[in-house]
Amino acid sequence: MTTRPTTKPDTYAIAWRLPLIIWQGLFFVGPLLFMVAMSFFLVKNYRMEVAFQFSNWQRMLSKDFFWDAYFFTLWLALLATIITSLVAFPASYFLAFKASERLRRWAIFFLIIPFFTSYLVRIFAWQVILAQSGVINAGLSYLGLGPWQMLNTQFGTMVGYLVLCLPLAVILQTFSLANIDKRLVEAAHNLGCGRLRTVFTVVIPLAKTGLVVAAVFCFILSFGDFVAPYYLGGSKPPTLSIMIVDTSKSGQQWPRAAVVAITMILTLLVVAFSAIGFAYRKRGK
Amino acid sequence: MKDDKLLRWVLTFYTALVFLFVFAPIAASLVFSFNSDRFPTIPLGSFTTDWYVKAFSNPEVWDAALRSLIVSSVTAVIATAIGFSAAYTDYRYDFVGKKAFLILSLLPPTIPLIILALAMLGWLSMFNASGMTISIIIAHTVLCAPFAMAVIRLRLNQMDPNLEPAAWNLGASEWVTMKSVVIPFTLPSIIASLCLTAAVSFDEFAVAWFVSGLNKTVPVVILEILTGNIDPQVNAIGTAVFLVSITLVVIAQVLVLRPAKKPEAA
Amino acid sequence: MAEPLVVFENVVKRFGTFEAVKRMNFEIREGEFLAFMGPSGCGKTTTLRMLAGLEQPTEGDIRLAGKSLVDVKPHERDTPMVWQSLALFPFLNARENVEFGLKMRGMDKPARRKKALDWLERLGIGEFAERDVNSLSGGQRQRVALARALVTEPKILLLDEPLSALDAHLVIRMQGVLTKLQRELGITFVYVTHSQSEAFAMADRVVIMSKGEIAQIGSARDIYRTPASRFVAEFVGRNNIFAGTVNSAGNVETAAGTFTLDGKARPGEKVSFVVAADVVSLATSKPAAPNVFTAQLISEEFVGSMVTLFFEAPGDTEIKVQVQERSLEGIPREPGQQLFLSFDPSHAHILKG
Repeated sequence: MTTRPTTKPDTYAIAWRLPLIIWQGLFFVGPLLFMVAMSFFLVKNYRMEVAFQFSNWQRMLSKDFFWDAYFFTLWLALLATIITSLVAFPASYFLAFKASERLRRWAIFFLIIPFFTSYLVRIFAWQVILAQSGVINAGLSYLGLGPWQMLNTQFGTMVGYLVLCLPLAVILQTFSLANIDKRLVEAAHNLGCGRLRTVFTVVIPLAKTGLVVAAVFCFILSFGDFVAPYYLGGSKPPTLSIMIVDTSKSGQQWPRAAVVAITMILTLLVVAFSAIGFAYRKRGK
Repeated sequence: MKDDKLLRWVLTFYTALVFLFVFAPIAASLVFSFNSDRFPTIPLGSFTTDWYVKAFSNPEVWDAALRSLIVSSVTAVIATAIGFSAAYTDYRYDFVGKKAFLILSLLPPTIPLIILALAMLGWLSMFNASGMTISIIIAHTVLCAPFAMAVIRLRLNQMDPNLEPAAWNLGASEWVTMKSVVIPFTLPSIIASLCLTAAVSFDEFAVAWFVSGLNKTVPVVILEILTGNIDPQVNAIGTAVFLVSITLVVIAQVLVLRPAKKPEAA
Repeated sequence: MAEPLVVFENVVKRFGTFEAVKRMNFEIREGEFLAFMGPSGCGKTTTLRMLAGLEQPTEGDIRLAGKSLVDVKPHERDTPMVWQSLALFPFLNARENVEFGLKMRGMDKPARRKKALDWLERLGIGEFAERDVNSLSGGQRQRVALARALVTEPKILLLDEPLSALDAHLVIRMQGVLTKLQRELGITFVYVTHSQSEAFAMADRVVIMSKGEIAQIGSARDIYRTPASRFVAEFVGRNNIFAGTVNSAGNVETAAGTFTLDGKARPGEKVSFVVAADVVSLATSKPAAPNVFTAQLISEEFVGSMVTLFFEAPGDTEIKVQVQERSLEGIPREPGQQLFLSFDPSHAHILKG
């Protein structure tokens, strides 16, 4: 006698699988898809109507101010990524190679804290610190220097991006540096490779994946950020994020804001995928 | 070697500077909140608690604080529940479309907040749901669930894969096993997740701003004050906000970092 | 003849296209200590898991006390298991761990508390009842796992390589505990291991598995003395395998020499036979005995009071001889030493296949 076990639906498994699918589907995928649709709607008399028109796209993509903002945002984000990665690296190197396990743990413990505190309030604090009569300029005047214009400049925006990205960059970089095979570094030293040279020829390539991931996060965060360019950068010229806020808050032009948003997402997808692809590509030697 | 020592000192000093940079705004906010000067600078003005008094006698601030509390608590519970279900599903099951499932669960933090805010605004207003507190809760849950999932998933990694089967073997059905074994085991990470998601929700302003309309949470109030003039009240409110977030994050970290009890060597 | 407790009938288990268990038929008797033994991947653990309900057979039936187990969920069976990793609940103390099965059956608090404490006492760890299980030693944790499984007084106990993580001296001690327990309780133990010494030391019957099939079932002695196949002979302990052809005189010609065996064989037939390592005699000069051949000593292995000597006989035949250290007095043991080996024809076991 051969009996085959009957296949009943596994209600237990389904019960645990559904919540995320339903919630994210309804409230994450739905809104994003809707936003794509929304970019084809029209606004008449401050009210949005369902439609399928390309006018919003034509309008936005033909305007100089859109492309100015686009490339400006791209430029700022690139700059932020490079600066943050460079600023973070020596600290990450220290934590990964020169610090004890214990010190490293405590460092990460402390770095996670600002990551979860109000970004907005931190930016506001910097606004006060960087002001014409703020702490830094007052200090400089004691030394007979300054005052330097730091707010309403790209410098201010960069400071803001650093505030946003630096903790995460240090954490991710430290993690990936700490996890490379230390024996390879030792081997390089044994073969007479100088310390600095080892960093460039051995350490960085080995930690490539993690370093690129850290950079990608910096890019995504700064590309989409609204607060830093607005409060520390003076919002002129505007970034794409500021454009979204302006367009939707004042003009109620949600469809046009949607166009901007979609171009941002597409850009981010392209950058993220190519960067990750680069990070994971095997070295062909 | 002297070179080594010098390098070490330089790097240590540099790293300290980085930490200084990262914590400067938090410290500054704290200091300025007690500073009498309207435009804080060196030398500092006199010590005062006026700003705290001003901020906390403002009914709008209390209103927003209460709403923030409600939003972050409810968000924490829902986000943790969803995060738990996603983490457990990832831990236990392999199925067609699992990759898509994981991407869906981990994607939200990679979309710029402003865009998420806009999308939710449009979507929710189609259902006339924008402007309500519930809409902030919904939006925040989407944002926070990935964090909850990550924290709980890490803890599940430490669970003996035979632990659930052992419970079934002793007569516990799957649901009973969930209640008697999985949840007790993951409890520290569940609490940590509640704290963390509450912190994220508490600080989050962009989506709340877009979606809340007239029902403001604390960060939104801060934002509105900011768009007005520079008002040192913000320091007082901000410091209070920092205190709440920092407490939550520290609790969460302590809970997560306590390793799963390992049996001592035989 | 009593009804068997467990029956496996034409059981097949496939994972995708891979057949982990191929058409298995066997019975487990009530009250016996049965051990499954075999190399990694032979299907022994899969078989145990099917009995526990953690895997479902792809084909075939498994019956426990006459009732089919197909479609019976793991928590509905009464087949408690002692796990390789022990799988103790880290958030419960020792007593609470043991109480778990009773709690699932709805026993009230005072009753299950008493039972749990009784069992912990019985296994000699009563004083650790309230201790956190993570603070106990390996041997103590083992006993908690045992108590947890036995407290519900099942008819059958499953054990999945429970001793593999223990230190050697603890293994011996636990073997004694398990054997004694099984005798006292009179229940069926189904034990899975890759260790021959464990299986042979404790089990009434041993099931040797290879590549999803049963190679032989029998008592330890039967398997050791009369292995059913070449695989079993090679897998189990110290055996010497000879292969050759029967000559016109009825003797077997092998590379190591020509040997006389019991039984009849036709000339030209190919034969393999096994001679256990402990029935080979050594001598410095040619003895007056049947089946003498010479071999060169290569090395020796000393474990306790037993010595295993490794020889090489003509034709690259590896020969193992296992003797007591004491009986080697007077025999030179330099590597390269040529010695005379012999065995009695009745000690040679002819292999099928």
